[in-house]
Amino acid sequence: MIKENNIKLIFLSLSLLLIIIIFFFPFFWIVTSSFKSPEEIIATSTTIIPRSFTLEHYNKILFNSDFFIYLKNSLIVSFTSMIISIILSVSAAYGLHKLKFYGNKFVEYALLVTYAFPGVILLVPIYLLFAKVNLLNSYFALIIVNVLFATPFAVWMLKAFFKLIPNEIEEAAYIDGASRYIVISRIIVPLAAPGIASVSIFCFIISWTEYLFASILISGDDLKTLPVGLAGIVGQYQIDWGFLLSGAVLSSLPVILLFIFIGKYFVSGLTEGAIK
Amino acid sequence: MKKNNIEGWLFVSPLVIWISLIIIVPIYIAFELSLFNVKIIGTSGKFVGIDNYIKLFGKSKFLNASLNSFYWIIGNAICQTFFAFTIALTINYKFPGKKIMANWIILSFIIPTVVVVVIWKLMLSSSSGVINSVLIDIGLLDEATGFFSSPNKAFISLVLINSWRWSPFLALIILSGLNSINREMYDASKVDGANFVQQFLFITFPNLKSVLFVLGLVGTLLSFNIFDIIWLITKGGPSSATTTLPLLIYETAFTKFRISQAATLSIITSFLLLLFSIIFIKSMAPKEDD
Repeated sequence: MIKENNIKLIFLSLSLLLIIIIFFFPFFWIVTSSFKSPEEIIATSTTIIPRSFTLEHYNKILFNSDFFIYLKNSLIVSFTSMIISIILSVSAAYGLHKLKFYGNKFVEYALLVTYAFPGVILLVPIYLLFAKVNLLNSYFALIIVNVLFATPFAVWMLKAFFKLIPNEIEEAAYIDGASRYIVISRIIVPLAAPGIASVSIFCFIISWTEYLFASILISGDDLKTLPVGLAGIVGQYQIDWGFLLSGAVLSSLPVILLFIFIGKYFVSGLTEGAIK
Repeated sequence: MKKNNIEGWLFVSPLVIWISLIIIVPIYIAFELSLFNVKIIGTSGKFVGIDNYIKLFGKSKFLNASLNSFYWIIGNAICQTFFAFTIALTINYKFPGKKIMANWIILSFIIPTVVVVVIWKLMLSSSSGVINSVLIDIGLLDEATGFFSSPNKAFISLVLINSWRWSPFLALIILSGLNSINREMYDASKVDGANFVQQFLFITFPNLKSVLFVLGLVGTLLSFNIFDIIWLITKGGPSSATTTLPLLIYETAFTKFRISQAATLSIITSFLLLLFSIIFIKSMAPKEDD
């Protein structure tokens, strides 16, 4: 008995150590590197503990680049996509999981398949379609696509939260004369708030990280999003690592800040809800 | 529960219409294009029927990319299953800092893919990468190696990078399955003398069926779909070793400007994936009680 527990303990500590090295160390590495001098970043003998400290890369990216334009574009696109996604997916999840209707299993599976629907297949035809209806080079082009990518999984995540709300509460409200609208806005939405919060982060992240469509549908510099801007630096022949690293850190910051405040809902949304 | 046909559809329809419009209209456009011979966007080509389809099957590029996509899906499935289960089973234990770990493990999933690319390009750099210098220090390598320089190394490195990004997210979904398993089953099996390998095989794994179904379906399609990580690191090279179908479609359309060919590729790919999804759902969908 004791022996098995010891083996377990060794396994647990070993895998914990590995997980920390593999999944957390890289972040430590790029954050510290973004404060190193250019010479130290590209030095052949790498230093785990930084020897130099400089703010020159941040200085350059904040005051001498298009960073704020890209940031503004990313924020506008991600927030709008998020809000539209939530409205559409809350409504759909309510229909799917609170009102049983003919065809609802089909819609559920179809949504799951569309979640994984390879965007790249749509790339060429969407480009042509948007060119025809004059949507290229607009925020709306990206929003339309982001909503498509975010909502199917959002509905799937919401399912669990809606199923946790007992039908009796709703029925009692109807007996008291409440309308469907009142029930949704006063009962369902507040009770599913943690779920809606986690779905919001998910939708925001999907839009925030989207690169492929943003790189094709937008060609004007003034409308580019952060991932496209960053990828432009990655693609250069001589990479300015300090500049690139500080850009990478700054582009991750907004999602990380968001995650600090509502991240625990996201994780509990995935771990507690998803399966029910 | 009683059925609410009209109201149910009313709630679902805004999303269903949005999604169908953005998928069906483009697929129709792609299908139309695949029957013509259009090269540059905006020009019109002549009708060639199913010529594009016939030509495609003779192209070694198409076969090569299909094979690469196949290896890509298998490689990612193996790596991600391993990482995701290790993370999920580890976090499922009680240890100090468990909450923080469970919250922040998906850091690699919430940052932009481009940042993932930056991280690994720096860490795996042949001239100044930390991985190279660590491997040399512990004696596994004699001199710095280029992780993206040979076809096999590039392919494996990309599979690992992509798994690094996705495994934590998958781990959390597996964790949700683990949380839903009745604790008493473990206690009862312990009384019967089961060790933790047996517990995993006979309790944990069977109880994860519905989670694994979703992961198997969605995970396969999502892996297939990966474009940016590969494109931004290797551009499909060296010598097309990392050109999967999504990259081939992109290249055909936007660097070679063969729009009809790209559309044909898209149609064939959608058909294959649809076929996979239907077979997968029909054969693996768990029976539901409600």
